[in-house]
Amino acid sequence: MLQVRDLTMRYPTGKLALADFQLTVHPGEFVVVLGGNGSGKTTLLRCISRMLRPTAGEIWLDTVDLAALSGERLRRARLPMAMVWQQTSLVRRRSVLSNVASGALGRYGGLWTMLGGLPEVEIRAAYDFLGEVGLATLAAQRAGTLSGGQAQRVAIARALAQRPRVLLADEPVASLDPEAADEIMRLLKHLANEDNLAVLCVLHQLELAYAYADRVVGIRNGRAAFDRPACDLPREEVRQLYLSEVA
Amino acid sequence: MSVEASAPQLPTRDWPGALVLALRLAAVMAFVAIVVQAAIVVRARPQDLITGARGMADIIGRAMPPDFARINVIWWPVLETVDIAIFGTLGGVALAVPLAILAAANVTPSRALYFAARGAIGFARSVPDLVWALLFVTAVGLGPFPGALALSVHSVGMLGRLFAETIEHMDMAPIDALTLTGARRMQVFSHGVIPSVLPSLTGITLYRFDENIRSSLVLGFVGAGGIGFELLSAMSLFQYRLVSLYLIVTFVLVIAAERMSALIRARLA
Repeated sequence: MLQVRDLTMRYPTGKLALADFQLTVHPGEFVVVLGGNGSGKTTLLRCISRMLRPTAGEIWLDTVDLAALSGERLRRARLPMAMVWQQTSLVRRRSVLSNVASGALGRYGGLWTMLGGLPEVEIRAAYDFLGEVGLATLAAQRAGTLSGGQAQRVAIARALAQRPRVLLADEPVASLDPEAADEIMRLLKHLANEDNLAVLCVLHQLELAYAYADRVVGIRNGRAAFDRPACDLPREEVRQLYLSEVA
Repeated sequence: MSVEASAPQLPTRDWPGALVLALRLAAVMAFVAIVVQAAIVVRARPQDLITGARGMADIIGRAMPPDFARINVIWWPVLETVDIAIFGTLGGVALAVPLAILAAANVTPSRALYFAARGAIGFARSVPDLVWALLFVTAVGLGPFPGALALSVHSVGMLGRLFAETIEHMDMAPIDALTLTGARRMQVFSHGVIPSVLPSLTGITLYRFDENIRSSLVLGFVGAGGIGFELLSAMSLFQYRLVSLYLIVTFVLVIAAERMSALIRARLA
């Protein structure tokens, strides 16, 4: 379970990007954070994944507060948390299979993996994860040859190779065509509802949020504007989210 | 609104036509002046070339036919030349990789080291390989080893700069992603950085090898072994048929190295 308490982030420039943000994502739940440009949604994800150090607040991953950790202890504590990125994040020169298997590196520390090798077990497991995202046939291809949608699915398979309990996604469909976007969203929902992951996905497309999310959290000026089940979300309230940006 | 009024304004030239013409004439005259002064400074005298043609024809006549019977004694200097280039290139890579890491703005550990590394790389490049060879001949004596050392140091100038640029232009997204999966620094390096940059680095190295083959041919002129040394000896002993054999071998060697390196680089791309 992922629980964010009173998360505040003030950049060195003085800009307050997040203010006392509260959020809980349970296992099996697909939560979408919806917000316009500059609303703080990317900052939220960067704080949770601890690429940024939040100014104040707590980030509980099961029984550990990530906000209080750094260095090797943070690396270990963060292992159950995987991330899917907005842009392609695969090593283009390596095979799809190696890219997926490299998601598991954090759990190995031997000389073989230090020198660029992948554990035999993980290569076999990577086949299964590729199958889960429907791309087992592309295993031997170079990652650089994939289409945007395929690359994003491989990135999800790599996240699975990490054996996460929490999956974060930062606008995972931003650069995809509508059909590929639907596929990625369906996959994320499946991972939450069927594989019991806690999935937190940042988006700006409200239609996708309506179609796939279990719960939608609106963010505006770094504060939660609403936090409701997707089936009980008045469109007027969502529109407010984007209106304030213009005003 | 009329069509004329809505059409975009064409940029108009403010200068009068006569001034433009004068400026163009001045530019042409300046170019001619540069060519003429260059001809004067190098003391270009075409008539010397004509009177000297007989001497040249004489040498070429005496160089024919190439002394192919000696092919069995020249293979050693040829091997030496190739190995000077191989050692020089690999030595250059060994020196250039650590320097390039310091000289790449995105990964350098400190500003001071960045400038120090950039300075060292620039210095290695600006001193010609022949001068490096002279220095190393003084240090370790005649033979192929000073030539190989000279190429190593001079290669750092080009390899270091291009390696650093490769590192600077590397896509950081896969590196950040691997780091966030919990991979350790060494794992991120061997699984993310190395596969991303290795093809470019290999291509640059092969290109440098091809240049080093050509450089190692002349390094012998200053006593640093290989074909150059034998070529100079043959010249001073008036063995022109041996000289022409060496020139043919050199030609084959240079073309072969160039083709091979281009072929492998095309495959890597």
